[in-house]
Amino acid sequence: MNRRAPLLTRSPVDLVLTIIAIVVVAFLFVPIVVIVIHSFNAGRLLIAWQGFSFDPYVVMLQKPAIRSAVGVSLLTGVIAAVLATLAGTLAGIALARRPGRWAAWFLITLLLVSVTPEIVDAIALLPWLVTLGIDWQMPVFNNGIVRLVIGHSLFSIAIVSFIVRSRLVGIESQLEEASADLYATPARTFRRITLPLAMPAVLTGGLLSFTLSLDNTIVSSFVAVSGSTTWPVYIWGALRGGLKPEVAAVSTVMFVLTLLVLALVALVLRRSGDSAASIARTLAAG
Amino acid sequence: MRARPGFLLALPAWLWLVVFFVVPVLQVVWFSFGRKPGIFGTHDNSVLTLDRYAEALDPTFGTVFLNTLWIGVAGTALCALIGIPTAYWMAVKAKPQWRGLLIALVMIPYWTNFLVRTIGWQVVLAPEGWLSTALGALGILDGPLEVLNTRGAVLFGVVYNYLPLMILPAFVAFDRVDPTLREASRDLGAGRWRTLFRVTLPLAAPGLFAAVILVFIPLMGDYITPSVLGGAAGSMVAQLVAVQFQAGQNWALGSAIAVILILAIVATAALGYALFRLVALPFAAARRVKLGAP
Repeated sequence: MNRRAPLLTRSPVDLVLTIIAIVVVAFLFVPIVVIVIHSFNAGRLLIAWQGFSFDPYVVMLQKPAIRSAVGVSLLTGVIAAVLATLAGTLAGIALARRPGRWAAWFLITLLLVSVTPEIVDAIALLPWLVTLGIDWQMPVFNNGIVRLVIGHSLFSIAIVSFIVRSRLVGIESQLEEASADLYATPARTFRRITLPLAMPAVLTGGLLSFTLSLDNTIVSSFVAVSGSTTWPVYIWGALRGGLKPEVAAVSTVMFVLTLLVLALVALVLRRSGDSAASIARTLAAG
Repeated sequence: MRARPGFLLALPAWLWLVVFFVVPVLQVVWFSFGRKPGIFGTHDNSVLTLDRYAEALDPTFGTVFLNTLWIGVAGTALCALIGIPTAYWMAVKAKPQWRGLLIALVMIPYWTNFLVRTIGWQVVLAPEGWLSTALGALGILDGPLEVLNTRGAVLFGVVYNYLPLMILPAFVAFDRVDPTLREASRDLGAGRWRTLFRVTLPLAAPGLFAAVILVFIPLMGDYITPSVLGGAAGSMVAQLVAVQFQAGQNWALGSAIAVILILAIVATAALGYALFRLVALPFAAARRVKLGAP
């Protein structure tokens, strides 16, 4: 391909297509831009613009409820992501490299987890956690963070398993066979060959789990106990009484953090030799 | 790592999912065959009955089911209509060196908090919001914009929220189509439309169908978008389930509604797959002719 494809090709159909795509991408950013603008709102309510001010950012740092909610979200996110990544990576490797008759059943379980609406997870988990924690007297299940981690980990385990599996299925297992032929123990082959091969998928899966946990509103609002309010549940609760501009301020900070993390991941994946298209492929595997 | 450890590696994840997903969901199915025993109880399974299913499908709740199905089908169709051409442009028409940036631009909104994005639209669409003011200033609109708390606002919201979920897999589907096949088609005298309909689309079709399903499933169960944008007029089934479990304290009825929701999602997706096979059938013949196509 030494023909240089200009961004705007000649045909009018292509021109229309280009315009549609640019409008769509711009459309995706509208509410984000609006939230960023409104994070500088001097008014009392988020929704009604009353002039420019940095006050929301000052208030954001002062309110203990906000600090606590963001703290709970970050803590839950890290634990849920680590847990989902560990369990999902092992499961994904097993599915790709050692599928047996069990694999079909396991895949059905994963599929069910990923198609079940979040609200069903929420209403199913709540009575179950109460049964475990109170009726069967296992007090760990009365801990807010534990409940949140359980709720957030379900979908993430399925996603990580799918991503890791599809990454390894795409790579032949010759390297692992060679390693075994050269007398590496199975554990060593796993650590030195299989895991490094799966690494880009593991990383993407872990990050996706973290983001999904930070995003989770419905399951969290059902299973949370007092004192373990996550950031989305805080917003959800404030929604009825009218949102304050500091909600937009925190969201803006989190948006900037997301950008930084995404840039970091893109960098890491690029160093491991993945093109942008294959990064998208890794992500869309879920 | 011989035969057995494959199973053992998957065991932690499997056990976790069985204990915290399969068992609780089965419990919900069990609840759905019970009843609400008086004002203070939440569920009672001493007598098993299908009455909760009849109750869930009576006109009060039935309209919400129809509403949800309408939003689900129309929302997915609009996402496909907007998302697939965009993905096609990204994968086929845009300069290769732009692709990374374009994918990032689609992914960033997807990784931004769902609830916050939806609130962003609430700010835009509110009667005293930006769009209302802008349309008023342009003289297009007389008086405040009255779209918030309607079914239309929910449809708009879900199309926005699930669009990245359509574009990314559709991009992958188009990206996997070998460009040399398109060139071959052009070299053999097919025009651009013929190439699109006889080569590119048939090859990308399975991936595009997967994208449609990927959007439809979570969209049908959406709780946040109708709660933020829909008000009473635009309510969806997920909200009914939540109300029965929270304010209503009627777990039996809530469970029955949840089970019907899952069945409705599966049935519609299966119907969609059947239709897809029917539509794809005429193209299958064209596919077989190609050399080396996957």
